[in-house]
Amino acid sequence: MENLITGNEAAAWGARLSRVECIPNFPITPQTEIIETLAQWIADGDMDADFWTLESEHSVLSAAIGSEATGARTFTATSSQGLVLMHEVMYIASGMRLPFVMATVSRGLSAPITLWSDHNDFLANLNTGWLMFHAQNNQEILDSIIMAYRIAEDNKVLLPAMVNMDGYVLSYTKEPVEFPAQAKVDKFLGKYRPKHAFFDAKNPLVQGPAVLLPHDYTYFRYQHDTAARNALSVTRKACEAFRKQFGREYGLLESYKCDDAKTILVTQGSISTTAKAAVNAMRKKGKKVGLLRLRLIRPWPAKDVARELANAEHVAVLDKNVAPGQGGIMSPHVKAALFEYGAKPIVTSFIMGLGGNPESVGMFEEAVRLAEKDKRGGVLWLE
Amino acid sequence: MSELQTIADIPKENLLSGGTAACPGCGSITGLKMALLIMGKDTVVVNSSGCMTLLCNYPRTPLRVPWIHNAIENAPSTASGIIRAAKRLGKKLNVLCYCGDGATYDIGLQALSAAIARNEDFVYICYNNGSFGNTGDQWSTATPLFANTTTTPVGRKSRGNTLSRKDMAKIIGAHGCYSATASLAYPLDYLRKVKKAKEIKGPAYIELLAHCPTDWHFDSGQGMKISRLAVQTGVWPLYEVVDGVLYLQSDKTRPVEDFLKTQGRFKHLTKRETAAIQAEVDKEWDMYKTGEYWKTDEY
Repeated sequence: MENLITGNEAAAWGARLSRVECIPNFPITPQTEIIETLAQWIADGDMDADFWTLESEHSVLSAAIGSEATGARTFTATSSQGLVLMHEVMYIASGMRLPFVMATVSRGLSAPITLWSDHNDFLANLNTGWLMFHAQNNQEILDSIIMAYRIAEDNKVLLPAMVNMDGYVLSYTKEPVEFPAQAKVDKFLGKYRPKHAFFDAKNPLVQGPAVLLPHDYTYFRYQHDTAARNALSVTRKACEAFRKQFGREYGLLESYKCDDAKTILVTQGSISTTAKAAVNAMRKKGKKVGLLRLRLIRPWPAKDVARELANAEHVAVLDKNVAPGQGGIMSPHVKAALFEYGAKPIVTSFIMGLGGNPESVGMFEEAVRLAEKDKRGGVLWLE
Repeated sequence: MSELQTIADIPKENLLSGGTAACPGCGSITGLKMALLIMGKDTVVVNSSGCMTLLCNYPRTPLRVPWIHNAIENAPSTASGIIRAAKRLGKKLNVLCYCGDGATYDIGLQALSAAIARNEDFVYICYNNGSFGNTGDQWSTATPLFANTTTTPVGRKSRGNTLSRKDMAKIIGAHGCYSATASLAYPLDYLRKVKKAKEIKGPAYIELLAHCPTDWHFDSGQGMKISRLAVQTGVWPLYEVVDGVLYLQSDKTRPVEDFLKTQGRFKHLTKRETAAIQAEVDKEWDMYKTGEYWKTDEY
């Protein structure tokens, strides 16, 4: 049975079905509906979890570290300024190897302040050591949160995970969403009882020690990197298990009509659905165009990305973000993946959709037209 | 637990071993060691970045209790997560935040105030050495008037810190929770306060004057004497705030000069500056004596 719910409600359902135990939180547009939904469920007795509002997102993430380090499955959500305020603690959460999940609802960053969506907030966390998933629709938001707990809590990984959705376009837009049965989710996730994060007087443990010897510090960082890389195969397996259990198929990325494509659009998030419509429209006109949607952003599945793009002549990376002075944040990732793979399509970087600037089929057609004229791989702004 | 009438009543189980990275004569580590005698084995220490963070230096820890260090400004927030998760998981834990004055007065005040407002059940001890000590004695809002610090240095055109310190124990007391000051030179008084704080269901705050030979510039054997002089000169009054009422517990019996002259951070003081500090302390004490701190009917 399908239910018509917003992306925010889908995120709340993901947390509820994952039976999260602790929810530290702080309001921020466009995320607030997630915590309001959870608060109401707890108030009505439909959900059993500790829910407390702190005085800042910095404290929210600090509290999440506290509850997860004590051994309780923890969930929170944030957006934009809140997410960048958390930045310091993002590294601490992953460095302590605490596998909780945070829904993020993308919104452009200040100044100038905006309410609408782009990905600069989410992508500011590329090097924080978190797992990063980006959903394209409300069903995927719900499913990804459940999967994220399974992947994060895997003993080979033990890292926190972000599941991102685009503000407004998904967060406040109702879409039909199928709810997985609670019993099946329980079976899929199991109980979280960590062996590495707990407080017990009989077995005192230090979490977050000083590591002053460079060799030891490097060892911790190496372990962290290894755990993040392990998440590639763990995610593959989790997607397969999810497909078997719930019938919906996900991967590290989504390849759409790439096999014979001469030009491939690379997207992430909700713009991908419009981009697919553009691919269909161009295919009808006989153009061999495909789309690669990035879903797992960290760890970065470089080989998978390169394999999909290797045979194209042109690649158009559509970044709904900007790194001023550099271009789109994801296009260098794509270029590096191709370089390592030894494939050399011409990669054009497009900046688009900033501060909620809406995308259209025509815009993606224009991107393909410009990319196919590009001989050197430039940075172009699409309006 | 006994009523802590004499030193013989202090619990014996030591939960902090020797051989730590603390400076010789450090008041902060003595304060932690003593607090743990009362807090007991079922305690998680939540530390904010500072001198004490270096106790748990991988792969060693001098502690026989669990410990978590998150960042400098978020110990009370971290504690709130521990408290709620522990309750949910059926674990009986005492939570002790042990944080420096920079973490408490400055960068972490927001998180501390909010945690107290949420009525989190924890004991918060601020070990106050009057500066950001671990980074090498930089000015904090706990730095006393005219103190020479590395960011308020005495120079040809400067007389050190020109600002009076905040009085955090009163600010916390104004939240309506238990708040007290303590001195290591009065160990039974300190431990009674820790015991009281532990037994309170909800937040409880203790501010411990933590003598610091490294930053105050005194011989490391003189700490207890200086901590006693701080109380006797009225620079560090001992009091408890209970339900918004301040109960003064020490007396001012000596001139501030007796305290100031023991430390290098005040060695540049002129007679006039010493008199200014004396006047500030006297004014403070007048307010204690007349109860003016807590009167609300006149301004």
